[in-house]
Amino acid sequence: MRLKRRGIKLLALFLGLSLVAAACGSDDEGSGSNNEGTEAQDGSAGGDFIDLGTIVGDPLEHIDPALNSLLDGFQITNAMFDGLTDLDATDPDNPEVVPHVAESFEANDDATEWVFTIREGQQFAGGEEILPSTFKASWERAATLAGDYSYLIAAFLEGGEAALEPEGDHTISGVTADDEAMTLTVKLTAPYSGFAAVAGFQLFFPVPQEAIEAGADWENQVMFGNGPYKLEAARTDQEIKLVKSEDWNGDYNQDTWADRLDSITFRVSADPDTSYNSFEAGEGQNANIPPARVADAEATYGNTLDVAILGSYHWVLDTEEGVLGGDENIKLRQAISAAVNREEINEAVYNGSRTISTGVTPDGIPGFKEGLCEYCAYDLEQAQTLFDEWKAEGNELTEPIPLQFNADAGHEPVAAIVVDNLKAIGIEAVAQPENGETYFSDLSAGSCLAMCRAGWFADYPTYDNFMFDLFHTDSIGGSNNGHFSNEEFDALVEEAKATVDTDEQASLFQEAEDILLNKDTGVVPMNWYRGDYVYSDDIATFPQTNFGLILWEQVAFKA
Amino acid sequence: MTSYIIRRLLLIIPTVFFALSFLFFLFFTLPGDPVTLIAGGADRTPNPITIQQITERYGFDDPLVVQFKDYWARTVQWDLGESFQTSRSVNDVLGERSVNSLRLAIWAVIIEIVVGLSVGLVSAIRRYSLSDRLTTIFTAGASAVPVFVLGFILQYGFAVVPNLNDWPEWARLRTSRLGPDTWAFFFIPTGEQWRYLILPAVTLASVSTALAARMTRGSMLEVLRADYMRTARAKGLRERDVVARHGLRNAMLPVVTLIGIDFGTVIGSAVLTETVFSWPGLGSAIAESVQDRDLPIALGLTLAVVIAYSLINLLVDLSYAWFDPRIRLTKGGAA
Repeated sequence: MRLKRRGIKLLALFLGLSLVAAACGSDDEGSGSNNEGTEAQDGSAGGDFIDLGTIVGDPLEHIDPALNSLLDGFQITNAMFDGLTDLDATDPDNPEVVPHVAESFEANDDATEWVFTIREGQQFAGGEEILPSTFKASWERAATLAGDYSYLIAAFLEGGEAALEPEGDHTISGVTADDEAMTLTVKLTAPYSGFAAVAGFQLFFPVPQEAIEAGADWENQVMFGNGPYKLEAARTDQEIKLVKSEDWNGDYNQDTWADRLDSITFRVSADPDTSYNSFEAGEGQNANIPPARVADAEATYGNTLDVAILGSYHWVLDTEEGVLGGDENIKLRQAISAAVNREEINEAVYNGSRTISTGVTPDGIPGFKEGLCEYCAYDLEQAQTLFDEWKAEGNELTEPIPLQFNADAGHEPVAAIVVDNLKAIGIEAVAQPENGETYFSDLSAGSCLAMCRAGWFADYPTYDNFMFDLFHTDSIGGSNNGHFSNEEFDALVEEAKATVDTDEQASLFQEAEDILLNKDTGVVPMNWYRGDYVYSDDIATFPQTNFGLILWEQVAFKA
Repeated sequence: MTSYIIRRLLLIIPTVFFALSFLFFLFFTLPGDPVTLIAGGADRTPNPITIQQITERYGFDDPLVVQFKDYWARTVQWDLGESFQTSRSVNDVLGERSVNSLRLAIWAVIIEIVVGLSVGLVSAIRRYSLSDRLTTIFTAGASAVPVFVLGFILQYGFAVVPNLNDWPEWARLRTSRLGPDTWAFFFIPTGEQWRYLILPAVTLASVSTALAARMTRGSMLEVLRADYMRTARAKGLRERDVVARHGLRNAMLPVVTLIGIDFGTVIGSAVLTETVFSWPGLGSAIAESVQDRDLPIALGLTLAVVIAYSLINLLVDLSYAWFDPRIRLTKGGAA
C-alpha cells in the first residue's frame, strides 16, 4: 500500500508541475502558423526564412571565408561577404565576371599583373571602410590561417609561397595596395587570363580588422562582413542565424534589394530525408531533395532542379599503371566509357535529376563545347568492337577491374550498374568500396588501382579549374585523383591558361579535353549536377546560381 | 555504507584513466592520418603547408608518450582544451551537450519505467491473455525495428502527415532539433518544447522500453510462483497488495539494473536518435568527433560520460538495498 500511495503522490506532483510549467510557456511560441519561418506580418517585404536544406549532415566546420572549403559553408560566406568581382549569370550559358567591390579591373598584356580599382565608400557592417589595404591584409590573414584553399595564394600570387611559410611574416610581396589611388595591384606567378574570376572567390573576400585580430577563432564570434547579411549571434552546432545588414550598399548593379529577407536561419538537418521531412512538416521554407523524392518534389513544390550546376560527377581511370594503364590499354578504356549506361544510372540512382555529361567541363564554363566526348554515349556495339580489337591485339584481362569508391556516400548503386554494364561486353569488374574518411587523401597518394569515383564543383568559372586542377601533372598529389599525366595535355592547358584571347583559349582547352576524353581516355564522365533545393509555396523567388549558390539577397516571400 | 560509497567513488578514477587512455591511443591507430583529417582531408586533398601548421600547432610531432603525459597533466586540472575542428572550448561544448542529453535521457527513462513496467506487469499477471500476446508481439517489434527507421516513421506520421492535412497546431509534432529550449525544473518542457521532445524521447525509449517490459514480465512470472507469494495469499492479503508489495518489489532488482544501465547508456550513446532528430546531445557529438579525429572533444565528452555512467551505477547498487532489505552494502560490496 505504501508504495502505491507514494506513487500516486509522486505522479500527482509530477503532473501538477508539468501543467504549471506548460502554462508558464512564453507567449511568443506557437503562433499557430503552418510554417516556422514567417512572412513579415504587416504585409511589407522581408520576413524570416528558415533554411533546412543547406547544412545537411554535420554542423559546418568553417564559416570563415579564409578557412571554409565546402559549398554549404560558401552559402553562408557568400551571403555575408562581397568580393572584388562577381559572376553575372543572367545568361547561365555564358556567365560573365563583373566588377563588384572593385569598380574595375584590368590586366597587362600577358596577364601577369592585375590592377583592381576599389569603389569609394564601401564599408563593413558597423562602418569600417574597405580600402585596397583591407584586401592585402585579408589575403595575408588567409595565408596565416592556411585553410584548405590557401594553396591558391601560392599558386597564383607572386610571393605567395613565402607568405605561407609558417615561420614567416606572411607578407605577400606580389600584392601592393595604394589607398590613395584606391588600387590593388596583384602580380601573378605566371600569366593567367582568368584571374579576375579567381579574385572573386571566397578566399579573397575582404575581412574587417576584428577578424585579423581574432585569427581562426573569429568564426566562433559574431562575424560580420561587407555583404547583405551578418551573423545575429555566434554560430551553434544547431543553427546559424543571419540578419539583414543595414550598412550594405548594394550589388554591382546598385540593386539594394531593399525587400530582401529580414533574417535567414540555417538549421542543421541530419540527412536529406530529415531535411525533406522537416520541410513537409512545415518547419522551414526549403530543403534538400533526397534522390527518392525528386518526382514528388518536382510535382508538388517549387524547386531548383532545372538549374545546371557547374560540377561534374565522373570516374577517373589510372592511365599510367595497373590493369588499365599504358597506351596498349587505350581501347580498353574507351570500351569501358562507351559501355557505361549513363541514362540508366541517372534514372535508377538519381531519379533523372542530373544531366548526362558529354565531357568533364560542364555547360556554363566559358569555352564549353557540347559533345566533346566520343565515348560517352551508351553504345554497346562500339564498346564491344573496341574491346574485341583490344583483345585481338593480344591483350587479355587476368583479373576483374576494381571500381573504387568512397563507401556509404551513395555510390554503391552506381558501381553496381557499371559492373553490369561492363559484364554485358565481357569485361569483369568488381565494386570495391573504400574508407570514406580517407578516400580522397588516399587517391592523392596514388591509391587508385584502375577506375575510381570522383567529382568536382567549380570554384570559379574557368576551364582550367577543371582541366588543370583535376588532370594536370602538377596536380598529382592534389586533386588529380587518377594521377593522369600527359605531356601534350599539360602543354595545351598551360598555353590556354596564359592565353588572353578567349576564342583561342577555348580552342586550346577543348583540344586538351579531347586528349583527356578520347585520345588518352583518362576519365569516364557520368553526369553534371543540377540544383537540389525545394522551397515552399510562400516563397516568390529562390534563385540558385550555376555554382549552387543561393542569391540570398534576392530571395523573397510572396506578398 | 559511507565507506562503500567512498570506495566506489575512488574506483571511478582508474575507470576514467583506462577508458580515456584507451581512447587516446585508439585515436592514433584508427585508419587515416589524424593530421590529414583535421586538415579537411576527408573529402579533398589538404594543403601540405596546412598539414605542417596543424602538426606544429597541436604538437603532433612530439613523441606519443609526451603527448600522452601532456594530455593527462592538463586533464587533471580539468583543462580539456579546444576542439581541433572549430576551436571551441570543450567545456562549452560539454556544457551545452550534456544538459540536452540528460533531459532526453530522463524522458526516455520515464517512458521506459512507466510503459515498460506497467506493460510487463499486466502481461505477467494476465499470462497468455490477448494483452500478453500483443505485448510479446509489440516488444519484439520495437526491439527489432532500427532506430533510424522508427524515427523516420514517427516523423512522417506525427509531423509531416498532420501538417499536410492541416491538423490543429498542437497536434503537429516537430521532426527535429532541440526547439525553443524552454524548460521548467530542469527537465519539464514548457511552451512549444514538448512538441520537439516527444518523438526523440519515444524513439530513444523504444528498445529499452521493450526490454524492460519483457524483463518485468519474466521476473514477475518467476516471483509469482514463489513460496512467499503463496504464503502472502494464504495470509488473506488482497491480490493487489500481494502483487504490489511482495511481487513487484521482489521482481524489481533485475529491472532496476536494466533501467540503471539504460540511463547511463542513453546519456552518452543515443547517437542514432540524436542524429535522426538533430538533437544536440553528447552521443552524436562524440561520434562526430571520432569521425573528424577531434581528440579534445572525443576525450572531454567521454570523460563526462564515464563519470556519469559510474555514478548512475553506484546509485543503482545503492537502490538494491531499498528494494531488498536483505541486501547490505558491506566492505566486500553488495552482499
